[in-house]
Amino acid sequence: MKDERPRTKERVKVTLWTLIVPPTTWAAHFLFSYLWAAISCAKVGKFATFPTLFVVGTVIALIVIAASGWIAWRQSRVPGDAPPHQDSTDVDRLRFLAVSTMLLAGLSFVAVIYTALPVVFIGNCR
Amino acid sequence: MRWQREATGTRVRLRRLAATAILLITGCNRHQSALAPFGAEADDTLSLTIVLASGAAVIALGVVLLVWNASRAREHALSESGGLRLVLWAGAIFPTVVLTVLLLFALPAMRPLPESDADLRIQVEGEQFWWRVRYAPPGAAPLMAANEVRVPVGRTVVFELTATDVIHSFWIPGLAGKMDMIPGRTNQLVVRATKPGTFRGVCTEFCGLSHALMAFDVIAMEPAAFDAWLAEARRTERASSGRGAQAFDRRGCGACHAIAGTPHHAVIGPDLTHYSERLTLGAGILEPTVANTAAFIRDPSAFKPGARMPAYAAMPQAEAEAIARYLKGAP
Amino acid sequence: MSLHEQDDPELRRAQEERLRAVWDSPKGLFLKWTDTNNDAVGAWYTLTAFGFMLFAGVLGLLMRAQLAVPDNDLVEPGTFNQLFTLHGSMMMFLFAVPMFEAVSIVLLPQLLGARDLPFPRLSAFGYWSFLLGGVFVSGSIFFDVAPDGGWFMYPPLTTRTDLSGLGADIWMLGLSFIEVSSVAAAVELIVGVLKCRPPGMRLNLMPLYAWYILVVAVMILFAFPPLIAGDVLFEMERLLDWPFFDAARGGDPLLWQHLFWIFGHPEVYIVFLPSIALFAMLVPTFSQRHLLGYPWIVLAAVGTAFLSFGLWVHHMFTTGLPKISLAFFSAASEAVAIPTAVQIFVFIATMWAGRVIWSTPMLYAAGSLAIFVIGGLTGVMVAVAPFDWQAHDTYFIVAHLHYVMIGGTLMPLFAGLYYYWPLITGKKLSDRLGRIAFWLLFVGANVTFFPMHLSGLEGMPRRVFTYPAELGIDGLNLASSIGAYIFAAGAALICIDLALSPRRALAERNPWNAGTLEWLAHPQDEHWGIRSIPLVESRYPIWDQQDFMRKVDEGRYFLPDAEEGRRETIVTTVLDARPIAVIRLGTPSWKPMMTAFALGGVFILTTYHLYWLALLSGIATLAMVLWWLWTGTAEIPEKESKPIGHGMEMPLYLSGSSAPGWWAMFITMMADATAFSGLVFGYYFFWTKHEDFPPPELASAPGVFWPMVALAVGLAAWLLTVAARECNAKGRIGTARGLLVAGIAASMISGLAGIAGPWTTGMEPTLHSYPAIVWTLAIWTSVHAAIAVIMLGYALARSLAGKMTPRYDADLRNVTVYMHFLALTTVVTYATIGLFPELA
Repeated sequence: MKDERPRTKERVKVTLWTLIVPPTTWAAHFLFSYLWAAISCAKVGKFATFPTLFVVGTVIALIVIAASGWIAWRQSRVPGDAPPHQDSTDVDRLRFLAVSTMLLAGLSFVAVIYTALPVVFIGNCR
Repeated sequence: MRWQREATGTRVRLRRLAATAILLITGCNRHQSALAPFGAEADDTLSLTIVLASGAAVIALGVVLLVWNASRAREHALSESGGLRLVLWAGAIFPTVVLTVLLLFALPAMRPLPESDADLRIQVEGEQFWWRVRYAPPGAAPLMAANEVRVPVGRTVVFELTATDVIHSFWIPGLAGKMDMIPGRTNQLVVRATKPGTFRGVCTEFCGLSHALMAFDVIAMEPAAFDAWLAEARRTERASSGRGAQAFDRRGCGACHAIAGTPHHAVIGPDLTHYSERLTLGAGILEPTVANTAAFIRDPSAFKPGARMPAYAAMPQAEAEAIARYLKGAP
Repeated sequence: MSLHEQDDPELRRAQEERLRAVWDSPKGLFLKWTDTNNDAVGAWYTLTAFGFMLFAGVLGLLMRAQLAVPDNDLVEPGTFNQLFTLHGSMMMFLFAVPMFEAVSIVLLPQLLGARDLPFPRLSAFGYWSFLLGGVFVSGSIFFDVAPDGGWFMYPPLTTRTDLSGLGADIWMLGLSFIEVSSVAAAVELIVGVLKCRPPGMRLNLMPLYAWYILVVAVMILFAFPPLIAGDVLFEMERLLDWPFFDAARGGDPLLWQHLFWIFGHPEVYIVFLPSIALFAMLVPTFSQRHLLGYPWIVLAAVGTAFLSFGLWVHHMFTTGLPKISLAFFSAASEAVAIPTAVQIFVFIATMWAGRVIWSTPMLYAAGSLAIFVIGGLTGVMVAVAPFDWQAHDTYFIVAHLHYVMIGGTLMPLFAGLYYYWPLITGKKLSDRLGRIAFWLLFVGANVTFFPMHLSGLEGMPRRVFTYPAELGIDGLNLASSIGAYIFAAGAALICIDLALSPRRALAERNPWNAGTLEWLAHPQDEHWGIRSIPLVESRYPIWDQQDFMRKVDEGRYFLPDAEEGRRETIVTTVLDARPIAVIRLGTPSWKPMMTAFALGGVFILTTYHLYWLALLSGIATLAMVLWWLWTGTAEIPEKESKPIGHGMEMPLYLSGSSAPGWWAMFITMMADATAFSGLVFGYYFFWTKHEDFPPPELASAPGVFWPMVALAVGLAAWLLTVAARECNAKGRIGTARGLLVAGIAASMISGLAGIAGPWTTGMEPTLHSYPAIVWTLAIWTSVHAAIAVIMLGYALARSLAGKMTPRYDADLRNVTVYMHFLALTTVVTYATIGLFPELA
């Protein structure tokens, strides 16, 4: 059995929970954007022409995603064998999760930018 | 940026060619079709449709060819790293680029046409299974009508859409996209017709038994003709005497229907003042001949299941025809 | 036990005897239906869902017959409305989702080298609920009372009792019942994937099917509850006249549309991803190599799952919402195409790098991919809002969704059918019939649905029972109708092929030379699932691990025996699949079936307004559930631990966050919290809709006092439970029992105080949406407090009966999880109804 390896090191590393950090950030940003626009339009009838709140929220989301992508990228380069990371070892499991997290960060990054685009092009509540 | 309108002459011609080809293949419906536009919005959307459909066709073909190629390749024709590069470039980066470009065009195209308080407003209310229409020209008295919408060519028209009973949806495919009519809400649809003609609109939200039988006529008129018609229509008064008018009165038709110039002002059913001008009967389903009208009066549900109008089966045929003739404009 | 012991054939035979006896299915006319083994329940489930699919397909054929020519009068308009409503509802709720759950119940234990899923009785309960609810809903058409408001059931058409009859209640209550069983299955599958993998199968080695199932089951958990919340509001309006969707009394029909589509869009991916999962299993087999780009698939599955929750408003592009709101959803709808493209290219790359064998399953897979790509691309088109304004609710959408569903769900399932049939029955299906059927289906699908793109753009709306000849779309419609019957011929041929199967000879084992665990299954069916639970070291162990099959068969891996005569499987850790325990599984029992029928009684009797009988049925359900739990769960084992082979000794009892039961409770409560957030969404939705919400004349109720009492006492109940758990763990049993009693009292008071708010201030729920939603939130929370009373009482009784001790405290730990979520619900409810009116 290869089960007896030390586990402390990986506690701070990518897990199933950190895998979903980038898309969760997208989801939070998406919900924030939608609610911000919907509530502004329903309650105020318009939203700010220079939406500071929105820009700040978007930048934060992008930073969180980029950071988790960067951490994942670092961990995917932990020494070990070449892809496709399909051995039953701790390091392969780690590298697999890291690569997946990195890819998800990429997708989430694009998705956050997509979510931000409407505000650039559509400036009112009609 | 309404990018489609700045299309070059060649692109417009190509588009017409494509649209004509589709119409030739599939029939020649030119009065209720998104492929035969007579309004600015529908026109833009048709351009968009052709671009999207061509792009989709090219990509679909490309994918199928790739699958074909992949299935015939010898083993190891593609290395592990080569495969990962294929996934990265063709599966991730290529669609991202295409979709980004698409989004950059699609988002600005969502902006509605500009409107102002000086524009003609037409309030349309969907009911099971007909349309209440109210023309509200700026600075003039409104006009009530039903089951027919007239619009001036070249002018911006603002439809204000709502419903009382259930959700309906207002769609004139040749003029613009659809907009739902939702109880408790008033939605706006801004349109501009570009060429005169007679067209058709339909209800596109399932609204009950006769959802399929809820249509209306759309007449796009030259602006001067429209103004003249509106002024004339507002002045229309019908006689309240004569055999047909008396039958209308006696049978209690006035409990639901209004006819200008008579004591009948009820707002439950369609306003019948301008019935004689209508191109169809029963919200776009029958030719409005005297015979059809009389038959409809005696048994509306035979033509329109679930219609709210009660049947007058006991009414003698002659009387129904008298009412029909009266509605058709006989004195 | 050592490796060499397994060399003894006598020992192996004795082990096999014991395993066979333990896993033997019950016999007898009635008793055989009490089976809970996944191979039995999964097979019934699959067959039932397949039957509903055929039934719904026939309804579709009837519609196509009516629409073959213009102004046709073959089918009455009222009947036609029932046909399309039932066709859509059945395909979604009675075929697509249950089918994926059914297939997963059959396959998952095999894929994971487990003997069964962790809660076999829950699977059985889910199946019987599904069967009863499905027959109830689909049978209604024979009595001409089938739902007729469309599968989306938009109010006010469906909530106004003068415009819609019994059918609306049948839809709402019958399908709510099935939604409950879907969530139950999701719980089962998530825990199965996370906790019941074989030793060594770390996350990076999981078969991709398991990854997809995990993702899809989590999606069900978040997608179905908003619909359940919507169902609650919907039935409150229909049965009690509470005006949630009535615009005249402060309601809004759009609230339903939001709740429905928050469910409805993820639903599309819930039924699509499992089919892609089948591809991910059979493409490597028929390319004879590992899947290329494994993490990309994980990216795609997880990414799609998230993005699919940001698409729902694209079903509402024409409702007149501000364009900016639509644009967010348009953008997300474009983005979701990216992970979909990734998956397609992973398959292309795998085929390219491998050696493709054009087997019948592969033919189906390739054909469905082609159809799906067209549906996906028209999906990108309708994600562009201006185009959708034209295409929405026309036959263009009918074409789009059928391309997606046939290419993305139905045909891949047929691929899976041809692929996995030998696994289930030991026999291959006919290649010749299969290929003929494929071409009929492929041609039929295209002839039916391609013309619909054009008929839609030429002005044909959806859900019309006829169309006028003057539209010039009769040729297109006739083509569609002919195509539909070609397609049906293909489906019929498949049925014939299936019917001929019993007469065919057994195939060899692993006939496709696949590499994944499920192909360990033997053509001579054994009910034990797997002879011994392997140590997995590869994604394709049959290909990569030496003598793998032989070692499994000779019981050289783990748990090769059933010494104590119990059904058992191994529980492992989530990330690395280290074995941590052996759990005992539920045995055949009629309790799941009876519980399902009792619960079904609640829904069905309510449909007919037989409230007292429904209440009785509810009490019976509760009693059944308690009995089931009392006699079948958290059993104290006769010994601390047992050997599983290779010198490993595993405990027989787990409690807390490593136990499957704890996960099941946690996951169920996630679903519960999601449903609750749907109701809270309703409250704030009304706030955005109205100028003044709460309306000034009603805003004085329910006041601040009672909600704050309920909140404070509710939190006290939570703290008391946590304290009871800690005391019990430290061995202070008496104190723990006292704290539980106090917790029961506090929950009771909190629940009553919650009701006292709206009650004492005389809120009249039929007056306006504000009192209606306040009452709903208060009732929801109070009912949950009442359940807390029962659960705490249960834990107390277990303690008194000696079934729960400081060492064996799973019951109390699971109840504590419930109380965490209840505390959250309590805070949100009472802060909302008590404090928000002060702020607004």
